[in-house]
Amino acid sequence: MHQQAQLRLKRDELDKLGAAAYVVVSMDVHRTRVFKEENLLLSRGPGPFAKEKSLVFATALSDPAGRAAALYGASRKCLRWGSWVENRPTWFVIDRKGIITYCAQPTFATPTSYVADVDLVLEALGRAARTATP
Amino acid sequence: MKVWAVSLCAPALALAIGPALSAPRAASPLVRYRDLKLPPVYENFDQGWQDRAALEFEIVNRADLASLRAGLRDGNPFVRAMAARALGFRADRASADVLAELAGKDPEYHVRIRAVEALGFLKMKPEVVALAKRDPDPGVQWTARTIEGLFVSDIDHAGQARAAYAQGIRREEMGSARVGGKAPDFTARLVTGEPFRLRDVVGSKPLAIYFAAFDG
Repeated sequence: MHQQAQLRLKRDELDKLGAAAYVVVSMDVHRTRVFKEENLLLSRGPGPFAKEKSLVFATALSDPAGRAAALYGASRKCLRWGSWVENRPTWFVIDRKGIITYCAQPTFATPTSYVADVDLVLEALGRAARTATP
Repeated sequence: MKVWAVSLCAPALALAIGPALSAPRAASPLVRYRDLKLPPVYENFDQGWQDRAALEFEIVNRADLASLRAGLRDGNPFVRAMAARALGFRADRASADVLAELAGKDPEYHVRIRAVEALGFLKMKPEVVALAKRDPDPGVQWTARTIEGLFVSDIDHAGQARAAYAQGIRREEMGSARVGGKAPDFTARLVTGEPFRLRDVVGSKPLAIYFAAFDG
């Protein structure tokens, strides 16, 4: 959720690039809507996002079978981080020609690594924005 | 006389085709899930996921209900969890009592998560899901809190999930997204329920796509 919260803080930069952002959730439509519209996770702690109602700026997509995640190599369907985890969090950037120009897996190495992760995505979007329309 | 002749010939016939009849049948997908070389434990997070995903598609799409129901009593918790997941998607109302038992009492939290989830898809036993909000495990609590909306939803979420699984996925397609390569097309649903197709949005803007773990 921190990745999505950070992207939301940078939505002006995303808009300037003329880019669009999507977040794929390997769950049913109902829980994808909860993910998009209700800040259930970070509202429980004392962090900077605790008071926000929704943290997700990106368009949320429900992928209940995890098919899209499997195509993109993000599927895991495994225990991790003390829970059942459907996907390894992964960013992709796709240019206007439909070519994947960037891929990164957040490491969660430090408590604030999501800031750098999102900056790298924005840089990749900036490069992708300069490619010609097909 | 004809009946006698057939009876007399039957043993010989059985001997002739016996090897074919007694050839080992392919194990059910749930049995193969139990026997995974790389089961879904912590240390296998980044390996063996293709087998886990492929078998999950097969189990949801094709496993027979009797084996799935038996799977809820399996000694292997991953089999119990997978059986619960599939029975929820398959809308097997006959499993509700056992799922309720698992949701409240299974020693493994990930089995309780799947059982609670399945009850949501079945839209049965809301009192069990309400109790699960006080489960000692935060993942079970989380699932119960997020799934309870299914009880008041008119949408057939289990049917939507089955439709998604029914698309299937070929092994060679898995992980086919590569930097420098064409972005694989996929379908999904917006939170409004409307269908989404990647190729419909490629071209007009550069896109960032994030695959969330479970909470983003």
